[in-house]
Amino acid sequence: MPDIAEQPSTLRSYYEGLAKGVFRAITCKDCGRYTFPPTGCCEHCGSWNVAPAEVSGEATLLFATHNISPACHPRFEKIAPYVYGHLRLKEGPIVQAIILGAKATPEDLGRLFARGPVPAKAEMLQMDDLPVLAFRIAT
Amino acid sequence: MRNRLKENIVISGVGCSRFGDLLETPELKGLSIQELTARAVKEALDDAGLCGQDVDAVFAGNAMVHSSQIPGTYSQLSKWTGTQFKAGVHFEAQCSTTNVGAVLAAMSVAAGVYDTALVYGLETTRTKVKGFSPYEREPISHQQTWLWTDMAVNQAYSVPQGYDIFSTYNGLVALGYCRKYGLSIEEFDRGMFELCRTRRLHGSMNPKANIQEKLEDRASKEGFADPYDYWRSDKHNPFVSWPSRLLSLVTTADGASAMVITRADLAKGGKSKPVGLKGFGISYSDLPWYGEDPTYWEFDKRAIDTAFDMAGIKAADIGYLHTHDCSHISSICTAETLGYLEHGKGLQAAREGRLRFDGDRPMSTHGGRHAFGHAWGASAGTDTYEAVLQMRGQAGARQIPKVPEISVIHTHGYAMIGTVVVLEGV
Repeated sequence: MPDIAEQPSTLRSYYEGLAKGVFRAITCKDCGRYTFPPTGCCEHCGSWNVAPAEVSGEATLLFATHNISPACHPRFEKIAPYVYGHLRLKEGPIVQAIILGAKATPEDLGRLFARGPVPAKAEMLQMDDLPVLAFRIAT
Repeated sequence: MRNRLKENIVISGVGCSRFGDLLETPELKGLSIQELTARAVKEALDDAGLCGQDVDAVFAGNAMVHSSQIPGTYSQLSKWTGTQFKAGVHFEAQCSTTNVGAVLAAMSVAAGVYDTALVYGLETTRTKVKGFSPYEREPISHQQTWLWTDMAVNQAYSVPQGYDIFSTYNGLVALGYCRKYGLSIEEFDRGMFELCRTRRLHGSMNPKANIQEKLEDRASKEGFADPYDYWRSDKHNPFVSWPSRLLSLVTTADGASAMVITRADLAKGGKSKPVGLKGFGISYSDLPWYGEDPTYWEFDKRAIDTAFDMAGIKAADIGYLHTHDCSHISSICTAETLGYLEHGKGLQAAREGRLRFDGDRPMSTHGGRHAFGHAWGASAGTDTYEAVLQMRGQAGARQIPKVPEISVIHTHGYAMIGTVVVLEGV
């Protein structure tokens, strides 16, 4: 069987970066805005004139709730119920992701809601078969 | 974009099956998916005074092929619906499917290609094919239902990294609503209770609804003197995504719906009173569905504005509204974006009974996704079915006292296609 070179994949690259703690994105050379997670064109203006970029992982957690248990996806059965949040990255994009540093209880989430927006920092959460994006908040 | 229909288009016939479970619900138990669909199609064709051979084209909708196992729906259902040799296609727009089908049909008729088109949608979210049997079915687990359903959601990044419909559609929106309008979690919970009570009231008056039991009656059966205590019981109504509870959500169902779309001049003197399809708007978005403010969804606003422009209406003209209510709080946000309810006052309107069939802002009088139930690709057609009944004065016990002249139906097709259809009496 001939040795066929693998094509570059933005999607694969994102998860490979995530495994190393790198948060890959793209920026648009026409409008200057970020698309995160990355695709092949700008989500804002539709331009194909984009370049690879990284985001810092610095974010603000705007709201946090929890998921259902058992989880909708088998990958997350072990950690359900988990806290799931709505965040704004320092670079602008809005992201939803698993939140670390809070418990999935009405009491903890109620206190978090009362605090209002809080700083959060992205990190990689290793599931059995995939590294996934998560954000940690200071307790 | 010109955003106009070149002909006057009407819905001349509507049909809808009972919603429930093909394994256990009266009127459904033992039916095949073919027969389930045929019932809705026959009702719609009878309503229009037609048979399957009278239509020119068929738009056959089904979203979750994993459970139905009927791709190529047009031909597989053709002999069950009497539509052999017609033009047709199988399509899906998830939970907007049947109303997107109405739009496709309306455009094809307005373009002068077809005179009359049949649209139908079928879905089984409670049961799936058992083994390789052509007629036996078995229950679908909760996780399997969502695993299949979530295939319509961002499979590159969101679902693989922990996306959860209950969080994104309910809990986060609820918190955004409370923060924006200064509601306490207790006030939110009370509003959600009243909204569920209204939906369950409507379901109790609808013989085709999945749940036909009032919330108060369920609470009483479970030994609660105060239905609000039942509502706050973790055992009976747990948080699925704090502060949103289980009974603020969709209930799954098997079901089918259908409608006949034709030119207004062809429906004159027909068997049933036609209802005009005056306008529509469609806009889709990948996740995230909202920006910093979880109560405002840009794609919905675009769909609403487009539909209102085509129909030449404004919010004050609406006599009946359905907004997609898989998530009750999301349905309130959409009604507020649409202008039917005042911003931040939707839950208060629910507490005051204004959203009931006999209130001044009637909504979802069939029972909505919670009480009527949700069969993804068939459900938008049930919303249209209900609006047509209301506009004909045929909604029985749940008839809106002042028969609506204009109805608006909004649906969310996963994930997400906002679809708005404007109906007007003719």
